[in-house]
Amino acid sequence: MSRLDTCLELMTRDGVDALFLGREANARTVSDAARLWLAGTRVFSPGCVVVRSSGAVHVLSNTDAVVPAGFPIERLYGVTWNPEKLLASLAAIEGVQSSRRIAVDGMTPAALALITRAAPNAEIVDAGPIFARMWAIPEAAKTAGVARAKETAEAAMAAMVDALDAGVRPATLRGIAAEALAARGAPTPAFEAVASPSVDGESTWLPVERPFESGEPVALRVGALHDGFEASLACTFVVGDTAGGPRSPVGWDDLVRACAPGTRVDELRERGAVVWGLGRGVEPWPDELVLVPGLAVALELRDDTALCQDVIRVA
Amino acid sequence: MTEPVCELDLVRMRRERLAKLRAAMETAGVDTLVLCGQQNVSYATGARAPAADHMRASWWRAVAVLARDEPWPHLYTDFPEGAPPELPDEFLHRAIEVETRAGAADLGRVVAGERVALDDAPFPLWDVLGARSPVDASVVLGPAKVTKTPDELECIRRAQAINQNAMRIVRPLAVPGARAVELSGAFLRAVAELGASANTVDPVFQVMPASVAAGPFSISGEPVFPIPTTDVRLRAGDVLWIDTGINLYGYASDFGATWIVGRDPSPVEVEQFERWQATVDRALTRVKPGATAADLVEAARDHDGRRPWLSYFYLAHGIGTDSAEMPFVGTDLGDAFDAGLTLQPGMVLVFEPVIWNDSSAGHRSEEIVAVTDDGYRWLSARAQLDTGAGV
Repeated sequence: MSRLDTCLELMTRDGVDALFLGREANARTVSDAARLWLAGTRVFSPGCVVVRSSGAVHVLSNTDAVVPAGFPIERLYGVTWNPEKLLASLAAIEGVQSSRRIAVDGMTPAALALITRAAPNAEIVDAGPIFARMWAIPEAAKTAGVARAKETAEAAMAAMVDALDAGVRPATLRGIAAEALAARGAPTPAFEAVASPSVDGESTWLPVERPFESGEPVALRVGALHDGFEASLACTFVVGDTAGGPRSPVGWDDLVRACAPGTRVDELRERGAVVWGLGRGVEPWPDELVLVPGLAVALELRDDTALCQDVIRVA
Repeated sequence: MTEPVCELDLVRMRRERLAKLRAAMETAGVDTLVLCGQQNVSYATGARAPAADHMRASWWRAVAVLARDEPWPHLYTDFPEGAPPELPDEFLHRAIEVETRAGAADLGRVVAGERVALDDAPFPLWDVLGARSPVDASVVLGPAKVTKTPDELECIRRAQAINQNAMRIVRPLAVPGARAVELSGAFLRAVAELGASANTVDPVFQVMPASVAAGPFSISGEPVFPIPTTDVRLRAGDVLWIDTGINLYGYASDFGATWIVGRDPSPVEVEQFERWQATVDRALTRVKPGATAADLVEAARDHDGRRPWLSYFYLAHGIGTDSAEMPFVGTDLGDAFDAGLTLQPGMVLVFEPVIWNDSSAGHRSEEIVAVTDDGYRWLSARAQLDTGAGV
């Protein structure tokens, strides 16, 4: 079953007539659109619409250059600053006006007014459960995409490790990682790379900007978003002694082994792990999700001296 | 080089922003402002968070709650190390996961006040707050953000300077045979070295077709821009449109330029640049407090009355904690909108007209000014005719 078919089936199960999506990862999931990447959150606005009755996906874009080949151009709607024009575009989509239930992945007071006018009889519900169920389903394209993103992230991590000499600044390592990601065709990150002192209590996300000293343990983080798929890595090296390999936190190997079919996500979290699913961006798994073969886990563990994160494919 | 607007004082900047938010809340009759949009949280609190892809950023989001009768906003964040030092401890809290039902309910319990304004909510939070009929936070954020304090202008100027200096490093690399993504990589490395807080957008290095028909399908019949940078190799004679933006202390830059690859600009390209510059110069003659966006639009029109910019964008837009924000000039919001928008001191205008000859591509650059008491001041360097030597 295709990903879109899965989505349509879940919409049927929930009685959802249309999906209005503002989150880029959700839009990527149903459309494979590759629109311009922007960092951070964005105010909810319907940038992608799925209609159950027609089975059609509609994408906000001025061109078909950002959607897969063969995408029908009549299912594009144009970029506008004018809410009335956006309203007209949405209302013109076959099946929207008559929708009785619309699921959204965010909401603003202004968007509510707009959607209410586009579909006057629709109840508005959360699209979150539909995507949460899709995140639990393994898929060959996702597995391959995450694996490729992992290779890209590994190349960037290797470039950071190569440059981890006494006196190097965190910003330099961040730039080196970005350059390495771009060289592999992924100028967009999952998050900006970080190099930080690996000391208990120090932030490994927003570190103080100072040169590293010889012999100091440093945590390195890199995340790639390659062709819309995400992979993220973290490891800890000692400045001036990278040949000795990365340090691992206590319990890391056991934790990796626990990423097996049948394990619930909260069993990993109870061991202190940070756990995300990986696909077209992060897939924020709930505690009760049960691992099945083919899912990709972003698994992270930190202790007093070392941080480690890897992409684990459940076998 | 642009001249500093003031000696940058980030504590003063945050204090003055908070005062503007309070004044706007008073005017709009809003008791409590609930902010979930990262740029808005940054504006209200000064909080930093790592730059990340949309979904990750959503789950990492900090939330700010500003009650009109309290001295500071409450900040709920996974990244307390990113909170400004002056925020008192009792206003700095552990993150509330508003993407989940439990977290949304927790936040709902701390939001007091009759009239609540909300910017952008994950649906579970909307489920909690929707029954209170929140107003759109733009009624508060719009008036507060539309003009900038001197410190905010200085942040934008410095962000733009970093962006421009990075481009001086990248420009010599844009030669035949180079990969477009390598230009992106060189840019990202340069901005990190030069002190950017973060990058904010996939750096665009787009090879433009000679005509609209020779390019990708265009829904409006105009040139299509921007498209994400792909792994193409540049060829001699390529017309490259560049669009990049970084973040410094929460403020965006916006750099636009047209580079010709591997040769000097042709006479047509020289003429396109001159028309581009003349368009901005005509608009600039009107930039001062009291002028309307319609005045700028009128001045920028071609001699034959056409509007030389992309209809789906603008003649000019503002910039601040968002890379494109109010004031908008010459958008599809229409003539009445433009006529009703009056320039005030502290507004910022990023001019980005487009000159297009449908057989020999065109010119697009960007230039940034701030409206002053009697005219404008530059926040960007002036665009240059590309010689391959610099920007």
